[in-house]
Amino acid sequence: MLNKLARWSRIKSPWILHLNSGACNACDIEIIAALTPRFDVERFGILLKATPRHADVIVASGPVTRQMRDRIIRIYEQVPDPKFVIAVGACAMSGCVYRGAYNMLGGIDQVIPVNMYVPGCPARPDAIIDGVVKLLGKL
Amino acid sequence: MTDAELIEKLKADLGDKVVEIALPARRRLFLKVAPRDLVAVTTRLRDAYGFVFLSTISGVDNGEMFEIIYHFSTPETDLNLRAEIPKADPHVDSITPVIPGAILYERELQDMFGLVIDGIPDARPLVLPDDWPAGNYPLRKDWKHARPLEVIPGGKS
Repeated sequence: MLNKLARWSRIKSPWILHLNSGACNACDIEIIAALTPRFDVERFGILLKATPRHADVIVASGPVTRQMRDRIIRIYEQVPDPKFVIAVGACAMSGCVYRGAYNMLGGIDQVIPVNMYVPGCPARPDAIIDGVVKLLGKL
Repeated sequence: MTDAELIEKLKADLGDKVVEIALPARRRLFLKVAPRDLVAVTTRLRDAYGFVFLSTISGVDNGEMFEIIYHFSTPETDLNLRAEIPKADPHVDSITPVIPGAILYERELQDMFGLVIDGIPDARPLVLPDDWPAGNYPLRKDWKHARPLEVIPGGKS
């Protein structure tokens, strides 16, 4: 019964944390655009949170720079269980054009486990919302 | 002041400090000086010619020598001040006392090329990560990057 309630509330209100680990800001702008009233993500209960401790889903954009590696792990560990990670954009998926550069480690999945990949350079707001909703469907 | 007038004036003013002076295109002036004269020439350019705006400092790795180019801009002309420094002993004087904005470029040169800027007020690393191993200078041509092994989540399919 309690599990069912927890699962219901998790699906009905996924609070997200926006994490930029070295993106060019294009994906960030699209993520912000997805949160505007035009796309109305609050119909899915999606709320942007300012701290990882309140968030359920990390929406990560950008390749992982060497400097950000430890910080990303620290942010990931602060998110309460169960936690989910969505990699938004080509860079967060694989490192994209920055792959193999001397201060890059590649995609987000090199550092923390990723549940959902949203392709695009940058990913469209529709695609980001689709990614979040598909993730909710898996729960 | 036209380009020709400026070249004549610089030649007369700086005298034997000028190693080479070139004008490959209109309003693009290349002035080569010895590294030891850099601070003196920069001071003179700032005070007498109004070259107060330093756009950036470029570093070039030419094998045995490093070349650093100081790009100055005024509304009339772009002046590029070149100096060659041997790779074996890469020391150059800081121009930060003359142009305070140069400090960021000089710190980046130290990071990326391993130049030693003498007299720089703040020599901390600027652009490289905190855990960067010492003695690795990414923009040197002979530096090889060892790529970290990438893991494929869930293994290869």
